Amino acid sequence: MHVSKSREKRKALQQENDGAKKSVKKIEKTGSNPRTRRGKWISAGYLFPSAAGVLLFFVLPFLIVIYYSVVDNPISHQFVFLDNFVMVFQNAAFQQAAKNTLTFSASAVPLAVVLSLLLAMMLESKIPFKSQFRTFFLSPMMVPIASVVLIWQVLFHYNGMMNEILAFFHADKVDWLNSPYAQVVIIILFLWKNLGYNMILFMSALSSIPKDIIEVAVLESASSFQIFWRIKLRYMSSTILFVTIMSLINSFKVFREIYLLKGEYPYDTMYMLQHFMNNTFSRLDYQKMSAAAIMMAIVMVVIIGILFLTENHFGKDVEG
Amino acid sequence: MKKNRKFTLAAVLAGILFTALAGCGKSGGNQAGEDGAKEGSVYVPEFMQLDLTCDYMDSFVAAGDVAYISASTWDEEAGYSGVVYKYDLMENKAQQLFELGENENIYGMIVNEDGTLTMVSGSDNYVFDEEGEVVENSFKMSAFRISAEDGTVIEESDITERFPESEYIYIQRMCGDAQGNIYLSDGNSMICVLDKNYQKLCDIDIGDQWINSMAASKEGDVYASVDGKLKKIDLAGKKIGETVGNLEIGWGDTLYTGMNTSFLVSSNSQVSVLDLSAATKETLFNWIDVDINAENIQYVGELSDGRIWAITREYKEEGGAAYELVCFTKKDRSEVAAKDEIVFGTMWMDSDIRKQIIDFNKTNSQYRIVVREYGADDYESGLIQLGADLTTANCPDLINLSQVDFAQYASKGVLEDLYPYMEKSGIKKEEYLENILKAYEVDGSLYGIMPLFYINSIAAKTSLVGEENGWTLTEMLDLVDEVNPPYVMMYDSRNTMLWYCVYQDIDEFIDWESGECFFNGEEFIRALEFAARFPDDADVDYSERESIETLLHEDKVLLMQTTLSSVQEYQMMRGMFGEEITYVGFPNKEQKGNLVVSASGSLGMSSKSKYKDGVWEFMKTLIEKEYQDSLVNEHGNWGFPIRKESLEKQFELDMTPNYYEDEDGNQIENPKTTWGYNDFTIEIMAATQEEVDAVKALIASAEKVSGNTDQQIINIITEETEPFFKGQKSAADVANIIQNRVQIYVNENR
Repeated sequence: MHVSKSREKRKALQQENDGAKKSVKKIEKTGSNPRTRRGKWISAGYLFPSAAGVLLFFVLPFLIVIYYSVVDNPISHQFVFLDNFVMVFQNAAFQQAAKNTLTFSASAVPLAVVLSLLLAMMLESKIPFKSQFRTFFLSPMMVPIASVVLIWQVLFHYNGMMNEILAFFHADKVDWLNSPYAQVVIIILFLWKNLGYNMILFMSALSSIPKDIIEVAVLESASSFQIFWRIKLRYMSSTILFVTIMSLINSFKVFREIYLLKGEYPYDTMYMLQHFMNNTFSRLDYQKMSAAAIMMAIVMVVIIGILFLTENHFGKDVEG
Repeated sequence: MKKNRKFTLAAVLAGILFTALAGCGKSGGNQAGEDGAKEGSVYVPEFMQLDLTCDYMDSFVAAGDVAYISASTWDEEAGYSGVVYKYDLMENKAQQLFELGENENIYGMIVNEDGTLTMVSGSDNYVFDEEGEVVENSFKMSAFRISAEDGTVIEESDITERFPESEYIYIQRMCGDAQGNIYLSDGNSMICVLDKNYQKLCDIDIGDQWINSMAASKEGDVYASVDGKLKKIDLAGKKIGETVGNLEIGWGDTLYTGMNTSFLVSSNSQVSVLDLSAATKETLFNWIDVDINAENIQYVGELSDGRIWAITREYKEEGGAAYELVCFTKKDRSEVAAKDEIVFGTMWMDSDIRKQIIDFNKTNSQYRIVVREYGADDYESGLIQLGADLTTANCPDLINLSQVDFAQYASKGVLEDLYPYMEKSGIKKEEYLENILKAYEVDGSLYGIMPLFYINSIAAKTSLVGEENGWTLTEMLDLVDEVNPPYVMMYDSRNTMLWYCVYQDIDEFIDWESGECFFNGEEFIRALEFAARFPDDADVDYSERESIETLLHEDKVLLMQTTLSSVQEYQMMRGMFGEEITYVGFPNKEQKGNLVVSASGSLGMSSKSKYKDGVWEFMKTLIEKEYQDSLVNEHGNWGFPIRKESLEKQFELDMTPNYYEDEDGNQIENPKTTWGYNDFTIEIMAATQEEVDAVKALIASAEKVSGNTDQQIINIITEETEPFFKGQKSAADVANIIQNRVQIYVNENR
């Protein structure tokens, strides 16, 4: 009896399923009617501007860059396959730029992430003048870059304020912008410009960590370090990834500040990949520029891929 | 099926985008001719021999289809004789109207409303003594009205007294307004206005302004082009009025009364019509596009049938000038035989090249050269545009390389190797100065040709520098220290000295092959320390110094930066130095500091040109015997021809003395010419073999092009040397920084 009932139930379910399939078929059938087709054309019409924009401003330039990277020059268009890549890779200026960019990003990005995280945590705790501090760290974002560079020039010029301070302590003058110290100056400038924004992102991430979990951890006698390491850091993993990627991208953009400080050919420790590409572009060396851009893009993809994998690894157990 | 549709859509989109991009490749031409071509109409010239013979035309005026021309002829016996002609422009027929008196010149003419002709003339009256010497000279200025039918004098008036402040006055421009008033401009300080009875109405003081052109508009008012602005003459206010609208009038533009519009305006590149009521200026055509050399334009006007006419003048080698009447008819482009257009890209238009292009266009049935002058409006942006065009589909077929770094573009494959073309045309490399060809060589390929060149160098007394045409920086600095003259050079500011020691030959400090820089070496540091001895540009006042010739004679100046373009110039320099001289050149580690400069432009061919044969056909004309021989000149030229045989002809001519016979029948050598430098002048006699040999040796020592130092390197050096010159950093510190920064530049460019 019980068996026959369940058979009936299964049969009823099957019938129900069949009915559902039929209705799907019906929908599929109605999908090809003129009204829906018109809808599709309308959607395509709406999509066209953005699709065209993406094609025109992203896909096409990228294809052109790839094309230029495998021809000898924009005039004769002789296919040279990887010769440009080999030439650029062996170019001493490119090597110098790659080394500087790597050194700069490897030091400035972790510093930007760690320091801003520390600042965010500091401002999360109960300290006086919290909002004033927050404003103070955010203010560099509001200052135009030309003014920032002007201030930096006044500070680090050979006859600038920093050397005045050194002179006060009877120390020798340092040519900050024309010496190996130049990159340190740029790192300081980068941190000053970016810490505030990163800090706000971290503060927002910190405030979104569920309080009950932290309370449970406190009740379970977890130390502050354990709470930070086991809970906060994991909940913030996606924000850390985002901040790291943004800082990495911004670290490439530091060219703008260096360019304004020292022009197209700065002291060698300040010479970045963007200099190489900008200069080759203005010299109409499209093939060199394209090869360098592609190599840089590949490295960026690899780095961002690694960051994603790291984030997946650390943040997998907190993602819903 | 669905997938296919998506693919098709994507392909169509990509196709649209590529098509749109392809359309961006060719930017709009900046030449009136090219624009005209797009509009579908062109002006076609018709050249006509003038129906009158004369040596010079002094004055023109046009009314309708008739022009009045005052022309003079020189005769050994009779001297100058002047005639006023009535010229029927439609029929191309001249009618003698009026004969001028002895020593009489027509300054200007006006066609009055009643058809009569008012002329103003100046005449010198000389009183001679028994020996034929002038003992008295008086000047008379007259105004007279004659019949335009038969030249009968209707009235005449002495108007010398109208100009009481000046003993001798030269009327440069003359025109009349609708009221019959006569405006006479001396082109310098004032405009004198007379009424129809030749009584003075007023003098208009023009102060410091410069009147470039003055003419009556079709409406009957008188306007002047003053300092590049169009201004109406305000007779009531006795002044030059305010600028009219925003009508751009170039500094060298000439105004002509229009028939259908207010004015015709002729500039050194084009002819335009100016409509005052609509405040518009419209370009009709470029002179070069109608095969006219703008430098030859004498008068421009309109005919009643809408054609534009011009009278051109070309000086003849044997003296005098050849005049031509040219009528320009507007035609649909389809009516004109199509030619392949070769685009000539240049920053500026050299007059020799312009002439050659016009001749080529007139005679070649397959090709036509159109000029794209990049530096015509804004030089800096023009240079950027030229650089951009060279590496895109917009690249000119023929390129003037004078202002571009040819080696950079050659390495990018922009330029075509010209040696194969020379070989194909049977032009032997050995027939040309190979060291000068080498100046435009890269790895054995020739990328540029300069038909005419001169040498940029430093000259000094041979007794001080020896006879070698070259020295190193160390040798130069040692000499300066040894002699310790009051002035090392006439113009010796810090930057100038740095320019001579470093920039003129930057390769001294850069080995492009190995990529090594030597700015931190002793040579450069010495150059910096040497430059630091001199005042800053802002602190030096050259006007306080004596003239260069005095300084040279008194041994107060050691070196002189100069150019050498002829044997005569060498003779003049020797005279000025007062002893033997050596063109020692700019300091260079290989002692090759005498640099080659193109005198009329260096031409290169685009490797992507569709008309390479046509381009070469033109380039060939510049190095062939005929043109090269035409550069040979009795008085020297602005440079030396590149063809050996033509150069030898020039030297031969330089060494051939001119004689005249004195009263006793003796042959006395006549000076070939007179050369001058500031206050120093010297009569140049036929050159000696020794002088010619010295010039030959100098030419043979030059094999690098002058002035190709990259601006980036100059910028870096200028920026970094400033603290050294201010005493804030040591020369070694600055040199190290320059080494560091320039090294990146060099590495990047390898």
